[in-house]
Amino acid sequence: MLQIALYFALLSLVSMGGMPSVMPEMQRIVVDVQGWMSAAEFTQLFAIAQAAPGPNVLVTALIGWKVAGLAGGMVALGAFCGPAAALAYSIGGFWDRMRDAPWRKTFQRALVPVTVGFVVSGGYVLATPVGPEWRSVLIAGAAAALLVLSRLNPLWILSGGGVLGYLLF
Amino acid sequence: MRPPAGLWELYWGFLSIGARSFGGVLPWAHRVMVEERRWLAPGDFAEVLALCQFLPGPNVGNVSVVLGRRWFGLPGAVVAFLGLMALPLAWVFGLALLYADFSSHPEVRAVVTGVGIAGGGLFVGTAWKLAKPLMRRPWALALAVACFGALALGRVSLFQVLPVALLLGWLLARRNLA
Repeated sequence: MLQIALYFALLSLVSMGGMPSVMPEMQRIVVDVQGWMSAAEFTQLFAIAQAAPGPNVLVTALIGWKVAGLAGGMVALGAFCGPAAALAYSIGGFWDRMRDAPWRKTFQRALVPVTVGFVVSGGYVLATPVGPEWRSVLIAGAAAALLVLSRLNPLWILSGGGVLGYLLF
Repeated sequence: MRPPAGLWELYWGFLSIGARSFGGVLPWAHRVMVEERRWLAPGDFAEVLALCQFLPGPNVGNVSVVLGRRWFGLPGAVVAFLGLMALPLAWVFGLALLYADFSSHPEVRAVVTGVGIAGGGLFVGTAWKLAKPLMRRPWALALAVACFGALALGRVSLFQVLPVALLLGWLLARRNLA
């Protein structure tokens, strides 16, 4: 449990843009390195977090819960949210004062391609729980296209994924 | 526009954001704080959000901390954050327990897997939206593709990829290529 806490606390500090950017790393550790669950189980836990209201960091609580029970869930969520929240708490005023600093603009621009690469990776590892085969590509591709092309509430897109999952898997 | 009168109002506001935020927290945060309770002007909200999207951690979680602090100091930050998370946390554990009971049914597993894959697809769609400004910047696009190759296909650790990627991103941004 201590191991989860330390690892999630570290991930917390590099989770620029929230959960999506650290998703590939979290899945790598939980599935590949520690072997706490299979890739399919990881994707299912993520699905449960998506089906609940609230920020998708809740998936960290589910991972902790799966590994070490309810207490593990609370510890994992606290470890993942705590450091980032402390940073937000302390940096709020400073960042506003730096609004016009040139380094801030450069840094923000530098983050864009990096974040894009990370978020796409997070989507890829979640969408390929049984490897990159046609059913996953179909569901994920349709979900991505609907998000980009329509103004549908994401909840409908997720429900559609559930229906396709029922029909195909 | 008028900030919340006390910690109790702050808590209720964030509780109602958390309770309703199916399918994404951000739209509800805007609706409750800007439109319903009128705690903030729209431009003010956008500025706080810009900071919080850049900071690590959940975006709206950061918004709750930054605004809670602005209005009521440390107690405000804690109360706002707990208000936001309380109901979703109860929901997610309830769903997880329910799922633990039913996960032996292959149909239930198939539905949940489909939802998870669609969720992954939403990430890809979000990345696509974020990537729009990169389309005219081939070097920046190449960096994004390289990050994908290393993380998703190569399964390299984030802690190895991040320093290199940030350095390259910084160099590109300095030369106006990103």
